[in-house]
Amino acid sequence: MTFTTSLKHAIPKLREALSCPLTRQICLYHSYEYSQPAPFSTSESAILSSAITHVPNYGFTPTALKLGARDAGYLDVSTNLLPRGVFDLVNYHLVTQRLALKDTVQFPAEGDLKPGEALEVGVKVRALVLSRLRANGLIINRWQEALAIMAQPSYMSSSIAELARLADEIWFLAGDTSVDTSWYTKRASLSAIYSATEVFMTQDQSTNFADTEKFLDARLEDSLKAESFLAGLGDWADYTGHSFVNLLRSKGMRI
Amino acid sequence: MPPRLSLQVHGARSRAFTIRAQLYAHQRCASTSAPEIYDVVCVGGGPAGLSLLAGLRASKATSNLKIALIESQDLQKNRQHNTTLDVFSNRCSSLTPASVKNLQEIGAWSHVNNARVQPYQEMQVWDGVTDSRISFDWSSATNSFAPHQPSQPSIIAYMIENINITTTLLSHLSVLSGVTTFSPARVESIELGQETADLDLRSWPMLTLSNGKTLAARLLVGADGANSPVRAFAGIPSRGFDYNRHGVVATLRLEGLGWGGEAHKIAYQRFLPTGPVAMLPLPGNMASLVWSTVPERASRLKSLSSEDFVAMVNAAFRLSTVDLEFLHTLPEGQQKEVAWREQHTPVNNRNIPMKVVSVQEGSVASFPLKMRHADTYTGERVALVGDAAHTIHPLAGQGLNQGQADAASLVRTIKSAVLNGQDIGAQLSLESYNNERYAENNALLGVCDKLHRLYSVESGPIVPLRSLGLKAVDMMGPLKGFLMRRAAGTG
Repeated sequence: MTFTTSLKHAIPKLREALSCPLTRQICLYHSYEYSQPAPFSTSESAILSSAITHVPNYGFTPTALKLGARDAGYLDVSTNLLPRGVFDLVNYHLVTQRLALKDTVQFPAEGDLKPGEALEVGVKVRALVLSRLRANGLIINRWQEALAIMAQPSYMSSSIAELARLADEIWFLAGDTSVDTSWYTKRASLSAIYSATEVFMTQDQSTNFADTEKFLDARLEDSLKAESFLAGLGDWADYTGHSFVNLLRSKGMRI
Repeated sequence: MPPRLSLQVHGARSRAFTIRAQLYAHQRCASTSAPEIYDVVCVGGGPAGLSLLAGLRASKATSNLKIALIESQDLQKNRQHNTTLDVFSNRCSSLTPASVKNLQEIGAWSHVNNARVQPYQEMQVWDGVTDSRISFDWSSATNSFAPHQPSQPSIIAYMIENINITTTLLSHLSVLSGVTTFSPARVESIELGQETADLDLRSWPMLTLSNGKTLAARLLVGADGANSPVRAFAGIPSRGFDYNRHGVVATLRLEGLGWGGEAHKIAYQRFLPTGPVAMLPLPGNMASLVWSTVPERASRLKSLSSEDFVAMVNAAFRLSTVDLEFLHTLPEGQQKEVAWREQHTPVNNRNIPMKVVSVQEGSVASFPLKMRHADTYTGERVALVGDAAHTIHPLAGQGLNQGQADAASLVRTIKSAVLNGQDIGAQLSLESYNNERYAENNALLGVCDKLHRLYSVESGPIVPLRSLGLKAVDMMGPLKGFLMRRAAGTG
């Protein structure tokens, strides 16, 4: 008797426990039907958003975090809410700027354009990358510190994952819908281009980052060349494969 | 299919059909007339198709076959009439000794206009970027330890106008007779036949011609070029790539007979990063140009005045690739620019062709370069020869020779089918043709494709490596001899 009642209580709990990871799995892909949950809790984002305003003066340091907590009306000790310390501050910047992309860059809708005027995916990608880079503009003098923090072994994997998410976001916003192997090559090459340009930008002395823009264009052009080379290689492999089979067939093999 | 017997019977039967067809024609419904039945219907009267028909007519076993030839252009009008030796067609080919031997065997070579054929004994090939060079002539390729054999070949290949080949084959065919020619006549449609009370033609291709005639083919041969309708009918896919290059051709007049004189003519080929440029000797002071280059440069070359074009051709064999790149950006005035640059570019004149003095009026033309290979050459009652089966980069001058070898091989295949009493259209009897030719053509297509790719590289580690390879081959006589025998088709 007692066993069954306890079971009765346990089942909904179990269901709850099971459903939790399930709902999370559903969120693994992007859907227009569901809104994504906010990436930071209210207290986290309150502390971090005010901490980021202190970065130009204090850098990505515990001091900036502490000042941020004070500004948000929390005690200094509440920075312990953030187990990864300063990396959480860097991460906050990365995540919020990535999510801001879809609002900061607006492309004209397909219907508004005249025929033949449609923006190419490449043009959109360039605009998105530039916009994301410009979001680093305010804190560019401190960005090398952030890069150093990201390169620490314990934070490396989350930094790379965040870079991958950024590349994914940019291709998604640019309207790329490929579902072949180029899905992977596009994201990989964009990640490489973005991170290289980001490093270049920290040393850019030109007005309004004109040199960074040039650098980015050169890298994008390189990748186009590589892409056409790879496509040519694909054609060639296709031809060679077929001719090999045809050769065996001509020699009487039944394949 | 009924073997042998039908081969003997069909003549009478088709005669009956012809009579019936004529009756229908009187009733003004020629388009629905009963088909005329042929053993071999060849679509396309180019060198490959004509060579096939001449081969079939020349061989005793196959001379009883009823043969039809369909050509969309007027074959008689397209025969070569002019005989002056200072005007040459810009469509020339180099015939290898193997192809010439084949033409001799079928008896066609005796009809050739020999004055318009130019054998050449040496070939100079060099890299446009590094200038490393290889020279092909039989004396340098022999083994110095072995005694010189008098039977040693001395000719690498024969330069001949395409129209000279077709005229030769047509003259030979008119002597042999027995080929029903529909020319000019287009093939309107090809479809499978139907079963009637007397005949089951369901596996037979039926061709409807533009003149309203309908032919049924025991074996339909597609010699109808790169966009072959016969290949499309058979549903054989053709794969390959477009090179994004154009071949610019022209007929040129040189300042002399060439460095070797009349008896020792030399062909030259320089590999530029945009593609090879070749100058091939024609009788007397004349030469034929094939310059493969990117489409923009090809159209620039075609737009030049003849003086500037001549200057550009001379520059292509003399100046550096950087100079050439600049010269292509000028809309005009290449002549002056080249004259000035030549003073400052030291060259060994004996290593490069003699200077071009003029270009034949209206002979500058271009065509896109591509590579295509059909998946198979045979289908049920269908065989493909020549360009219908494969299209090759012209850098080794092998396209026409491949077509000749295809034709010779298909003649052998049909002959053995007839001798064994097989149905000549059955895929089983055609199998040996595909077996014999596919691998060989595939290898040649592959080699030319690789060479094109190898020499389109302008910088990087590949450039010194390819030069090293070229020099090494040049120094190894026996290896060079092997390559030359392969190219000549006698290895």
